[in-house]
Amino acid sequence: MKRNSNDFFKTDLTTWEIGPYHGSLPAPMRLKLSLDGEIIASCQIETGFLHRGLEKACELHSWKSVIAYADHLDPEAAVFGELVLCLGVEEIGEIVVPARAQCIRVILAELTRISSHLAYIVRIARAVGSETIIHYVLRDRERILDLFELLTGARFSLNFLRFGGVCADVTDGFIERVLEVCEMIRIRMKEYNDLFTFNHGFLKRSAFVGTLPTSLIRACGMTGPNARASGVNFDVRKETPYMGYDELEFQIPLGQGEGGNIGDVHDRFLLRLREISQSMEILKQVADRVPAGDFISSKVEKDYVVPPGEAYARIESSRGLLGCHVVSDGKEKPSRVQFRPPSLAHLMAVPELVEGIRIEDLPVVLASLDLGVAEADR
Amino acid sequence: MNTGNDQISWIVSWCRAIGLTPSNTPPWLYALLALLCTFCFVVVPSGAFISYLDRKLSADLQARVGPNRAGPGGLFQPFADILKLLQKDTQKQWGWRENFWLSVHTMALYSTLAVLPLGSVALLVDTEMSAFLPFWSALVLGLGTMLLGLSQESVPGWFGGIRVAAQTLAGSFPALVALLCVGIRAGGFRWSVLANSQGFSPWSWAVFANPFLLVAFFIFVMSGLVLLAIAPLDGGLSMSDIHGGVSSHLFGRRLSLFRFGRFYGFFLWSVITVVLFLGAWRLPNGFTHGLLRLEAYSVLAVFELVWLLLKTFTLMLLIVWISRVNTRSRVDQITDFSWKVLSPFSLLALVGASIWAGWRAF
Repeated sequence: MKRNSNDFFKTDLTTWEIGPYHGSLPAPMRLKLSLDGEIIASCQIETGFLHRGLEKACELHSWKSVIAYADHLDPEAAVFGELVLCLGVEEIGEIVVPARAQCIRVILAELTRISSHLAYIVRIARAVGSETIIHYVLRDRERILDLFELLTGARFSLNFLRFGGVCADVTDGFIERVLEVCEMIRIRMKEYNDLFTFNHGFLKRSAFVGTLPTSLIRACGMTGPNARASGVNFDVRKETPYMGYDELEFQIPLGQGEGGNIGDVHDRFLLRLREISQSMEILKQVADRVPAGDFISSKVEKDYVVPPGEAYARIESSRGLLGCHVVSDGKEKPSRVQFRPPSLAHLMAVPELVEGIRIEDLPVVLASLDLGVAEADR
Repeated sequence: MNTGNDQISWIVSWCRAIGLTPSNTPPWLYALLALLCTFCFVVVPSGAFISYLDRKLSADLQARVGPNRAGPGGLFQPFADILKLLQKDTQKQWGWRENFWLSVHTMALYSTLAVLPLGSVALLVDTEMSAFLPFWSALVLGLGTMLLGLSQESVPGWFGGIRVAAQTLAGSFPALVALLCVGIRAGGFRWSVLANSQGFSPWSWAVFANPFLLVAFFIFVMSGLVLLAIAPLDGGLSMSDIHGGVSSHLFGRRLSLFRFGRFYGFFLWSVITVVLFLGAWRLPNGFTHGLLRLEAYSVLAVFELVWLLLKTFTLMLLIVWISRVNTRSRVDQITDFSWKVLSPFSLLALVGASIWAGWRAF
């Protein structure tokens, strides 16, 4: 919906550059906007401010240390980077991961998904200026970080996965606490809904705003919750199951346009809430069936060197399809580690998506895309 | 000074203590001292009190602790904030335009101190037009804020200024019409007339006098939030896309001046709402008459002030509470709401209140 008042009134467009650091941006990036009044006529995006040379760093370190780098791919959802790298290496080395280790990995991955989605709610709430929900959600997210600390000793940047399993076995009472947290979040979801989802003010800010058309999703290769909110039914956990996801029962929620259009900001928000519920279902199932046994494959020695070969692993991270191309030439360091972060596709969609919206909606639309600039810039 | 009120004696009797008598003191000095007293002993402490309560209550609502370091229970936090802001200085050179518009904006705001209705004894100016003077200030305030924003020569300032102006215009119409509704019932726009048409008991308050005034009350409160850009309808001043608009270029002393000005606007509007709709400063009749018979004007002034401020603070905290659990609306939504919802309903309330008043007159 572009308005052409500048043609009608013969007025000039205003140019406005925001970034790389600005309150309305979810992460460092620069937006060059042309404004027609308060409507965005066009937008150019510049990223790369968080480039750390992560993939190159992977080539300079031993296989074991690379896990710590993969962990930094996306600081907010650290486990997914580790996981996709481990899956790639295990495919090359034909390492069989013990069932117990798989269960621990699924628990970690789904807890990370919940925590990342909770952080997403915080960012949306901040964008629409709703302070209270921010504190409520952060309080609940702390409980998940507590679980990470209990299991791995770290709240962020866990560095817990290993080729062929995980670093340590679960401690006593961990599984019970996971279930406790699930129950707590299930109760709190009602609170979030009352405060936020069905709040008239939030609906006014999010419904019919920033609608993501299917054509744009396909053009940019967008995946994950953003694509599913627009009705694109694609989830790696169902398409090419890994880590035993095929044995678990869960649904893939799709956007239904309850507040406004299918694929608007409200749909993207609602879809995250539903994904949190599905993740809790998965956690409950896994918690019931953690088998006894090793937590790491006995094949992986301390100074394990990956045999020559290459593999491409892909998983469903909290933001979408996360791919990792690992190449080994049989030496102690990787020959190439390349990530396919989902946020890159989301960033590509930004210029077209924000055209025609008001600048007041810009922070809301950007927050609703869940842009992980750290993983896109890597 | 024509006060229209011969009970201005509170400041005269206070001044006698420091050696000023009506024979050696010009009236303008009395007026100046009265304004200073009002500002220093009512407005500033109210600001500190409300900002502390706001923070503590919001913290309680939001499952966190709130200020707890400065003084017992964080009680001195507002003073610590002010001291910190006063020490800071601006990073950029200010042009004369920005200084000029900041002072215009501030003067417009504090000119209303003269008409601030704080009690039957403490009234400084009580004319037929008293109730309209705060509107004039609010409009000048809107204009001053807009020009302050425009003079900053930055995109946030520009958009912030324009948005504030749009909100001010949108909010002033329904607010004025709602004021007319009360005036029709009371039969005048003097603060004393408006207050005396109500009583101590809630059932004698203007808000419950008839259904149209109840509507007018809600319209008056909401249009005030729009007019002065107070949370939750503070889109013009606080949207995150423009970093808070006009205030984004203010630092240190100027920021504290601006922020306190915004608080004063909120306070002013709440006081006026209480005076117009919620029984003003009226105490039980027997109590007031008893004190008047004893000629204990200062005691009466204090009681009236405390009762008025109690209601004002309750109203302010209610608004703060609502703003804490709601999202911030976009400016175009706020102005739409004001023009398309508040304005028609205010006209409806005006027609209804007029008919009601006419009916009662016969």
